[in-house]
Amino acid sequence: MKRIVPLGVLVFLLFVVALAYADITLTNASGESITFTEEELGTIAASGEKPFEGITITVTVNQGGPKGGISGPLYEWRDAWEQITGAKLNIVEIPYAEHYPKVMTDLMTGTGQYDGFFIGSDWMGELVVGNYIVPIDDYMKDPRFPKWDPDSLPPSIRTLYTWGDKWYGPLNDCDGQILYYRKDILTNPDYRAKFKEKYGYEYNIPPKTWDELYDISEFFNGWDWNNDGEPDSGIVMHLKVGAQGMYHYASLSAPFCILPGEKVDKYHNVYWFDPEDMTPLINSEGHVKALEFQLKLQKTGPDAQVAWSLGEAWDYFLRGKAVFTFSWGDVGSLVQDETRSKIKGKLGCSILPGSYEVYDRSQGKFVKFDTPNVWGNTTGGSWHGVISALSKHPEVVYHLLAFHATNKISLWNVQRGWTGVDPGARFHFLPPYGTASLEDYVANGFDPEDAKEYLKAYYDNFFAPNVAPYLRIPGGNEYWVALDRHLSEAYTGQVSAKEALDRVARDWEEITERYGREEQLKVYQESIGYGK
Amino acid sequence: MSKGKRIKYFFIVPSIGWVLAFTIFPLLYSASLTLFRVRLGKPARFVGLANFARILSDYKMWNSLRITLVYVAVTVALQVLLGLLIALLFHQEMRGKSIFRALLILPIFCTPVAVGYLGLTVFYEEGGPINSILMSLLGTKIPWLSNPFWAWVAILLLDIWQWTPFCFLVILAGLQSLPEEIYDAAYIDSSSEWEIFRKITFPMVQPVVIIVLLLRLIESFKIFDVVYSLTGGGPGTSTEVYSLFTYRTGLKFFDFGYASVLGYLLLAMVMVVVNIFFRRVREVYE
Repeated sequence: MKRIVPLGVLVFLLFVVALAYADITLTNASGESITFTEEELGTIAASGEKPFEGITITVTVNQGGPKGGISGPLYEWRDAWEQITGAKLNIVEIPYAEHYPKVMTDLMTGTGQYDGFFIGSDWMGELVVGNYIVPIDDYMKDPRFPKWDPDSLPPSIRTLYTWGDKWYGPLNDCDGQILYYRKDILTNPDYRAKFKEKYGYEYNIPPKTWDELYDISEFFNGWDWNNDGEPDSGIVMHLKVGAQGMYHYASLSAPFCILPGEKVDKYHNVYWFDPEDMTPLINSEGHVKALEFQLKLQKTGPDAQVAWSLGEAWDYFLRGKAVFTFSWGDVGSLVQDETRSKIKGKLGCSILPGSYEVYDRSQGKFVKFDTPNVWGNTTGGSWHGVISALSKHPEVVYHLLAFHATNKISLWNVQRGWTGVDPGARFHFLPPYGTASLEDYVANGFDPEDAKEYLKAYYDNFFAPNVAPYLRIPGGNEYWVALDRHLSEAYTGQVSAKEALDRVARDWEEITERYGREEQLKVYQESIGYGK
Repeated sequence: MSKGKRIKYFFIVPSIGWVLAFTIFPLLYSASLTLFRVRLGKPARFVGLANFARILSDYKMWNSLRITLVYVAVTVALQVLLGLLIALLFHQEMRGKSIFRALLILPIFCTPVAVGYLGLTVFYEEGGPINSILMSLLGTKIPWLSNPFWAWVAILLLDIWQWTPFCFLVILAGLQSLPEEIYDAAYIDSSSEWEIFRKITFPMVQPVVIIVLLLRLIESFKIFDVVYSLTGGGPGTSTEVYSLFTYRTGLKFFDFGYASVLGYLLLAMVMVVVNIFFRRVREVYE
């Protein structure tokens, strides 16, 4: 009897220890399960004590619903997260155009209705400078919280999640625009021969410069190259005002107007403003040439695209109606969804083309390069969660955001187009660039060749030697809106490229004056690493 | 003071409170805002009349004002004219009149934002119902939402569709209240319907028409919902009406001082229009 009792205790202790160190399997709303180690989920989740029981947090996100971009993953993993923490998650969806004003109103009036926000990175300057959000560095070191890997992010994306030396949001979305093209069509020998006959040269696949892309797009525009009985287009873009149409211009124009250099100074690696006096550069010769080019390129696509938002333009490409589009990572994964896409297995992807000519402001003229001036970009929101400084439960919000940033959930999101979460971290990419496996992508519905093209293009974009600077100073949203509305005036033929950009510059000057030129200059220099 | 006299104050206090809280206070507060550069969460800065002076050089404001004035002139004129014509039609004896009348007034009950989103579907350029019909009948389609002119036409059509029934209904009520005896006498003197309309019907129904005109003018100046949901002010800024511009200035960019000035300008414009029309109503009645 004396020996039995200690043995029982030992067995019980072993059982408890085994339980404590057991992996934890969580199932999402789609019924798919992921197993985490204790280290991955953090001790709060692994202890099973549910220390956040009785706490409800509220986060805002762009409207999209349970299967929508950025909002979808929150719904998908809500039950699982609530189960391990005991907290309740209240998701508030706000339409894209209303999200920023709603968030800022909450913060500026001190209402504190929301604990966290899934923000676009262009809001960051306003939020950090106003002390409206809290840094997360201390939480990141704390083993109680889910573990995610900040070192896996390229510097270009890392910049968007940080301000100075401080982190403000765990990894979520990595936005950047790449070129998508129909590999099957561009490699068609018959089409290639006809193109050569008409233009006198053989095109590269993918095109190396925007001028080359224009020729190809013009060649394919207006006739039935996919044999569906209807004329098709060269390119499709989403150009609707108020629906992120201006981002196309931001990505396309970089090679025409950013002079590469060793560091950020008055003339090199700058795009938005003169970093010495905040004079807008948006109506400089390089920009005007870029917009004139985009207006020309626009004519090789459907007329209706000037009123199309993302979904409509993507759908046009997915239905196989255009040879090119350039947009975010959503397109690459949506192509794999055969209920929407006719082009699975026919996809080509690359970093955006460059330009042989770039405007040099120091010389006041366009200079020619031997190789195309190519720029990667982080165009878009790179939508990620941040914690409101007014939240009474910042650690609960951080737990949620870190949970979504764990490698396993992040990868799960990236492999499904509807989540709106796009690849950017090393563990999203295939070897030799990253640690993800092709089999994993294929198991989640990707065509293997499409997956290779898509992930390589994103790697090239985010890890490019030159990545275009991002605008995220106070009033960032207002600067973007001014750009958006005047570009749309040019897209719809109301004004010339020059006039549209002059109007943007005029509006930007007015915004800068209103916010205070000196303050804006200081923050702008800080945000682009001027002089470093 | 007797109990009866005191009780009347008791009943009137809530409405006074309401007016003070929701009309007088916002009016005075926004009047003070016009003199400041205001950012929420930061101290307001006194700028004198700078916000008013800004109007003069703000081409965006003038553009939105021009768009609004043209919109008001066209929609109100068409709505009242069509409403009058349909009312005259329904003033005749006809079969199934009550059913048609009920069907005709249904659009009034739609939420304008929903009408805007409905418009997105109806005017969708690639495969939307209108363009599909046009393609099958004429082999052409209209760039409803991608062309500045047609986007404007789309908004006009939706607004006319929704608010013509209101004009029709009120004018019809006015027509039905006209005394029959006058018409009996008129038919003895003339057999021309046009003459009777011109010399009897229209002058008698004119006060009602003016009231309808006035109500629609005031409402039309404030147009926001349909534009917001259908075009967002685009393409470009071709449909950015005054209220949308004011809303963006105040609630999107938080430029409250200037937005208050814009609000007062709209108030002044509407008051001028209302005064002109009230003067006309008075002349008609006198």
